[in-house]
Amino acid sequence: MERLATMTEEVRIEKGQRLLQEGREAKELYVLKEGAVELTMKAEEDFEIPVAILRRKGDYFGTSALVAPHEYTLSARCVEDGTSLVMKQPDLKKLMLEDHELGCTIMRNLAQHLLRRLKEARQELKIHFKTLLKSMRS
Amino acid sequence: MEQANEICLEQLGDVTLFDIRGDVTILSEPFLHEAYESANNQGARKILLQFEKNAYINSGGISVLIQLLVETKKNNQQIGITGLSDHFKKIFNMVGITKFAHIYDTREEALEDMSGGS
Repeated sequence: MERLATMTEEVRIEKGQRLLQEGREAKELYVLKEGAVELTMKAEEDFEIPVAILRRKGDYFGTSALVAPHEYTLSARCVEDGTSLVMKQPDLKKLMLEDHELGCTIMRNLAQHLLRRLKEARQELKIHFKTLLKSMRS
Repeated sequence: MEQANEICLEQLGDVTLFDIRGDVTILSEPFLHEAYESANNQGARKILLQFEKNAYINSGGISVLIQLLVETKKNNQQIGITGLSDHFKKIFNMVGITKFAHIYDTREEALEDMSGGS
């Protein structure tokens, strides 16, 4: 953890600031210290789907920095001033290769996080289908 | 993201108020479903959904609300929504929720408009 602390940079984040852009190369992983960040997904040119809001200390985003092809799948925008820790992708990769135990812990946590997201996405899909079927049958 | 909602039902004249606490996500589905079933069993004809200030509603929450609106339309119930931030007013308009439900700036405005009549 000490090594992890040495490779993080604390940055100020300001309301309205775009921190990540969907589709761009995932170069950094963020851990929120204070403030709030909204995650969105582009649906149309002028419409972004609200995915989640992060408000708690320790909430993290930009996890695509941990997994190939290292491309952000969501955008992130600061909605309340605060601070965040930033870790660069090459540093994280190097650390995980050197410290297998830490690497394993990070990847296990990531897997749990992604499984939770997958479960929620499946539940959402189920609701959409139920609504669609109800509309078509009525 | 919050994991649970508290939904308090209150009868205000002929309007049933759903006072929804917390963020609205796919995890809100059983709470909203239970509240709706309860209101429906008591013969609710007009329902006002009141969201908490600063409540966040993600795509899962929007799909749950659409599901509820489809149900209320089928049952010929009138729906109003209040407590939304400007951000979510815009989103609800863009996804077409405003075709099913009227959005009010305040609870008082909603009650005044929805009360009485048929």
